[in-house]
Amino acid sequence: MLSGFNVILSTISFSIETEEAESLKQQVSFTTTTIPTALLFSGIPFEKACQLRVKGEGGLSAATAGTMVGLSLGEKHFIRGGIAQDLRTDGRKRLTYRPISVETGVIPQANGSARVRMGTTDVIASVKAELGKPDLLQSDKGRVIINVDCSPTAAPIFEGRGGEELSTELSVALQRCLLGSKSGTGAGINRSSLMVVEGKLCWDLYIDGLVVSSDGNLLDALGAAIKAALSNTGIPKVHVATAASADEQPEVDISDEEFLQFDTSGIPVIVTLTKVGRHYIVDATSEEESQMSSAISVSVNRNGHICGLTKRGGAGLDPSVILDMISVSKHVSEQLMNKLDSEISAAEADETES
Amino acid sequence: MAGKAASVPSTYSPSPTQKKKPTIFKDVDWVRPDGRGFHQCRPAFLRTSAVNAASGSAYVEFGNTKVIVSVFGPRESKKAMLYSDVGRLNCNVSYTTFATPIRGQGSDHKEFSSMLHKALEGAIILETFPKTTVDVFALVLECGGSDLPVVISCASLALADAGIMMYDLVTAVSVSCLGKNLVIDPISEEESFQDGSLMITCLPSRNEVTQLTLTGEWSTPKIHEAMELCLDACSKLGEIMRSCLKEAVSISKE
Repeated sequence: MLSGFNVILSTISFSIETEEAESLKQQVSFTTTTIPTALLFSGIPFEKACQLRVKGEGGLSAATAGTMVGLSLGEKHFIRGGIAQDLRTDGRKRLTYRPISVETGVIPQANGSARVRMGTTDVIASVKAELGKPDLLQSDKGRVIINVDCSPTAAPIFEGRGGEELSTELSVALQRCLLGSKSGTGAGINRSSLMVVEGKLCWDLYIDGLVVSSDGNLLDALGAAIKAALSNTGIPKVHVATAASADEQPEVDISDEEFLQFDTSGIPVIVTLTKVGRHYIVDATSEEESQMSSAISVSVNRNGHICGLTKRGGAGLDPSVILDMISVSKHVSEQLMNKLDSEISAAEADETES
Repeated sequence: MAGKAASVPSTYSPSPTQKKKPTIFKDVDWVRPDGRGFHQCRPAFLRTSAVNAASGSAYVEFGNTKVIVSVFGPRESKKAMLYSDVGRLNCNVSYTTFATPIRGQGSDHKEFSSMLHKALEGAIILETFPKTTVDVFALVLECGGSDLPVVISCASLALADAGIMMYDLVTAVSVSCLGKNLVIDPISEEESFQDGSLMITCLPSRNEVTQLTLTGEWSTPKIHEAMELCLDACSKLGEIMRSCLKEAVSISKE
């Protein structure tokens, strides 16, 4: 990461006055010595990082993180300037994703699992199905529990309770995008299909996301991983003994040979648009995320309907800008959906071969 | 009163009262449970300086939703925190155990604290209180629907009461989508049947949205409609909040 910065800096210093270049170099040597490596190498946005540190004890303050994060002034200008000119630091255009790779069936213990990598962002999602009793209030629906874990292996600041705030934010955003509203409309996962015996027996679907390595755009990656994991999920067929009376639990026989494929046609994709300056970018790296003013995550299903929206970042946005961002993300989502579908089917084919 | 007490048996005997199951129709001629129009907000009651110990506080009632918010500070940050040349904002939302129909259900809303933080941080001029922290503590006394928007509006009123510099008051309004209808400021009953919901928090005079969440399936024109409805309600709520603050000042001057 640091060596990359040096290269960028040397190119800048050629194009500017020597005096400025000198001051730039000073700044860099200053930042590299004073910033704790924990923050330099953490993949999460720095804004987020400082919030986490504020919550945790003895952290880097919001102000210090805001003004002198791992990036020097020159590097910040370089990132912002690149975005303004539609050529980002890694050569991408504003609305281009990093290469996505999908691997399915990575966890043999789970009913379905997938690993998704976008650049150096690396996440795993697993789906486990367990038989349970449905809620009294919603006796015709199964339960879906979504949980995200940020492992300290991804970044040292996730250690202990450090990753808790980010984990909650991600889980809530995923729930909003995948589970729809209370009555179940707009849900990517049809909870009625999880019913085995009405009012008595249902499948509880535990969806767990794990952040293995984080370099920005975690929500989109987790959304893609969950989509892939669900299409990889086989739910065992259940044979119910018919003789059970009204208030007894029915006896069941869970088949370990026959599986029902989970219907994933309704699962949306999540597109996060990060606003840097006046422009929006997709699939921001953590360096780019540190420069964001605000971001909007939109989940779009195959019909082009929006089924969940979350805003991040404190800065206010004009309502017309939000509507514009929604229409851009809708456009981007089509490409992402197609790309993801082909990657998932390729991964499934790979798995059956091996 | 005494006569009434006499007619009631002195011991408690549980008798099966017939509770009507709430029926919500999604037809066009459906009437909301509290008789409001679809685009009509609940009557609001706003009062500042509800808590003496706090630097600023507010108590807000929107129908049955009752919220109290205290603001402490700006005060010294915890020792463990490093120097910061902008202030810090610390938000916490909690429910009383008796706020919800089922006791202790309020703990389901863990994300409210961070959502309150995100809604407010864009409005507060943090540069005006360097090295210090402002604590915003919200308590939901009774949960009657649209809790988070009420908490956010109440918190910005309390911040203004505490004299914290802000670009503008933060107002928040939510709409629920029931069938084809959009209903503003939903009560709990409507929220439990909703097909979708949209919440906007905004700075009305600057026409800026600080927080936006959406659940359920929406088409783009529907989002347009709901956003316009919310923004209009937000600006009206802003005026009401402003007049409440002015009133409080004029009373204290007398």
